[in-house]
Amino acid sequence: MNFYERMMNLDRRWIYLVIGLVVVITAIFPFDVPLYVTPEVRSIYDYIESLNPGDVLMIGVDYAPEVMAELHPMTYAISRQCFKKDVKLLLCCLHQNGPGMVEQVISQVSKEYNKVNGVDYVYLGYKPYPAITILAMGQNFRIPFPEDYYGKPLDSYPMMRGLTNFSNVKAIINISGGSGTEYWINYANGRYNAKLAIGVTGVMTSDYYPFLQSGQIFGLIGGMKGASEYEYLAEKAGYISKAKNQLSAYKTMPIQTTSHLVVIFFIVVGNIGFFMSKKKKSRI
Amino acid sequence: MGTEEIIWNGVAAFLVLCIYTFLYKDNPFYKFAEHLVVGVSAGYFAVILYYNGFVPKLITPLKQGQWVYIIPAILGMMMWTRFSKKWSWLSRFSLAFYIGSGTGFAIPLYMQNYVLRQFSSSMLPMGFSSWALFCNILIIVGVLSALVYFFFSKEHTGIFGGTAKIGIWTLMIGFGAGFGLTVMGRISLLAERVVFLREYLLELKYYLYLLFKYGLPL
Amino acid sequence: MKKLCWKILLLPLFIYFIFFSYSLASATETSTETISANQWFNSQRINVFIILIVFFAFVLYFIQKAKRGGSLFVRRIAGLDAIEDAVGRATEMGKPILYISGIEDMDNLQTVASMIILGNVAEMVAAYDVPLIVPVCLPFVVTVAEESVKQGYAKAGRPEAYNRNNVRYLTSEQFAYAAGVNGIMLREKPAANFMFGSFYAESLLMAETGLSTGAIQVAGTANIHQLPFFVVACDFTLIGEELFAASAYLSREPKLLGSLKASDLAKFLIMVMLVFGVLLETFGITKFTYWFFVQ
Repeated sequence: MNFYERMMNLDRRWIYLVIGLVVVITAIFPFDVPLYVTPEVRSIYDYIESLNPGDVLMIGVDYAPEVMAELHPMTYAISRQCFKKDVKLLLCCLHQNGPGMVEQVISQVSKEYNKVNGVDYVYLGYKPYPAITILAMGQNFRIPFPEDYYGKPLDSYPMMRGLTNFSNVKAIINISGGSGTEYWINYANGRYNAKLAIGVTGVMTSDYYPFLQSGQIFGLIGGMKGASEYEYLAEKAGYISKAKNQLSAYKTMPIQTTSHLVVIFFIVVGNIGFFMSKKKKSRI
Repeated sequence: MGTEEIIWNGVAAFLVLCIYTFLYKDNPFYKFAEHLVVGVSAGYFAVILYYNGFVPKLITPLKQGQWVYIIPAILGMMMWTRFSKKWSWLSRFSLAFYIGSGTGFAIPLYMQNYVLRQFSSSMLPMGFSSWALFCNILIIVGVLSALVYFFFSKEHTGIFGGTAKIGIWTLMIGFGAGFGLTVMGRISLLAERVVFLREYLLELKYYLYLLFKYGLPL
Repeated sequence: MKKLCWKILLLPLFIYFIFFSYSLASATETSTETISANQWFNSQRINVFIILIVFFAFVLYFIQKAKRGGSLFVRRIAGLDAIEDAVGRATEMGKPILYISGIEDMDNLQTVASMIILGNVAEMVAAYDVPLIVPVCLPFVVTVAEESVKQGYAKAGRPEAYNRNNVRYLTSEQFAYAAGVNGIMLREKPAANFMFGSFYAESLLMAETGLSTGAIQVAGTANIHQLPFFVVACDFTLIGEELFAASAYLSREPKLLGSLKASDLAKFLIMVMLVFGVLLETFGITKFTYWFFVQ
């Protein structure tokens, strides 16, 4: 087997080892990475900045722990920005493994800002069948969620007075790791014309750029890179603190940089091997 | 971190390492962690579904005398007849209702959001006087050529075939972007876990230092 | 078909003049006080309604035409040639063929399309006496797969060659299924792997293992996220709608064929109207585009 064939047939475990080492070394010896904030992330940040104290923002959190790495930082950053600006939050979860994710975020962030359940935020909880739940919420939040996550009737909360359906919230931000985003676009924006922005995993990001271009969503936070851009903006404005270790996405950017460079190197090596072997075979 | 957090995060760190051992080869540690996550997520889902689906949407309304909920309850039970060869025909009623209502909701909205809105937003002015106008040309050429590629009523020959070739190139560029974003997504998950392990080890080191210095668990 | 296409070419002009002239003619008036009430018909969605009616009409027309035996041309899907080559190669090498139908149930259209292609692959394979191994993810799909393979063998005139043990239920767990399929690939070393259906993260695991065994691989799925992995690891990939077109082409089932032709006609209409709309937009005329914009 010649050199080029060996390049192409490299045991994948060597590649895993190299990437693993690069990730671990960069995690131990991190460095600052310059960040460019994309317009689609900035539009969500600027929209929340334009809200007034007392306005209600809805966050639909539809992800499970397996994609927490990419999406949790978004939820934290947006919640912190809203609470700092005294914007009220209405949260719901449409993923079966997600209720704990929302509870973790809201209980931690509300403590940081001394926010009270029922006055500054309401967590509706989880309901199955996202399509039906979103359609019902478009009529009245109390139809799918007569009680909140903690079992209290929604009408017992001061914040829920005057909050009937999507037309009473300023915007909806859906943070999703699966097909939940499709339902929010189809039913919340398509049926009820709710103002919608989304935060999705890296895998799904490319699917939703057409909706950004058509105006069906006004912002898109794509994967961990998008989350780090949002954290960067929030940190500059003082909503989150580097000292308190609140930049969970931003601090992985050096790891992303070095590991992507390694992946690009292997792709180039593999392709050189492919074309050179092909050339050699055609000569023979 | 308190003692409880150290223990539970230690369990999490152990399970992360068990899963990563699969990179070398399949082994009992990986099998244990995989079966654990499958079992826990199935059990968790069952409990969540019961308390967030059955109880508020069936049991509570029936207790409150809203007998109309018996109809969906019966339809739901009819779905279970799929497992019986003799009675499986009953499940067709429930399936028909479910598929019919779902399709009725979905088709107009999918036509609106996935076809019409995209179609109207693809009608863009073309030109060379600005970068935005030039990008519009790329979008329009990409949309038209991709549509030509998926046209099955004519052979891909001549100009039509050439346009279809541009279409497949457009698709491949899109797949490449999706592939790159997928790589980014997977690296993100690895990076976050490595950062978690690093922070856990630092916390564990500090905890053990305090434990040996002061002799008491926190 | 050509006359219909000409009529469709004139349709955008017709719609444009109807709506453009209507908006020129109407004048704004101030109405008296009104009280809102729920409406039965949302007039802001009339464009969606018209387009749905037109599309349904196309579908029904072509299904009826197919049922009456009318000729409906569908071009040969290139991946189907690759299937025949792969079956031929497996025959030469005396090795089995592996067919994977995805991890979704029969309510997923991709699984339905996969079963149709499986029937045709079984017919090809029966003629050459090559073993066809079909590992299945879901119990309900096993019965359908068994039926498809049995019918394929019967159509080829070789019902006695059908081996029920070759259609196997593995497990319903996604990655456990992938591990099982990988095990079959590494032990049985099939000459050709066919992967048609709905796949998720396990797609690359299976495709890579198949690549490492040196098998010819032909895949097809409508799950966009998995297409890059199949394109990279397989010799041929049916992209998205090509999977459904392949099943329509092979089965000649009137409903499938009719739906395919109707969607082709709709695509043609979209292309024509897109070009028309782009030209109008370039000259600053936005009324045509606005008609398609949903309020």
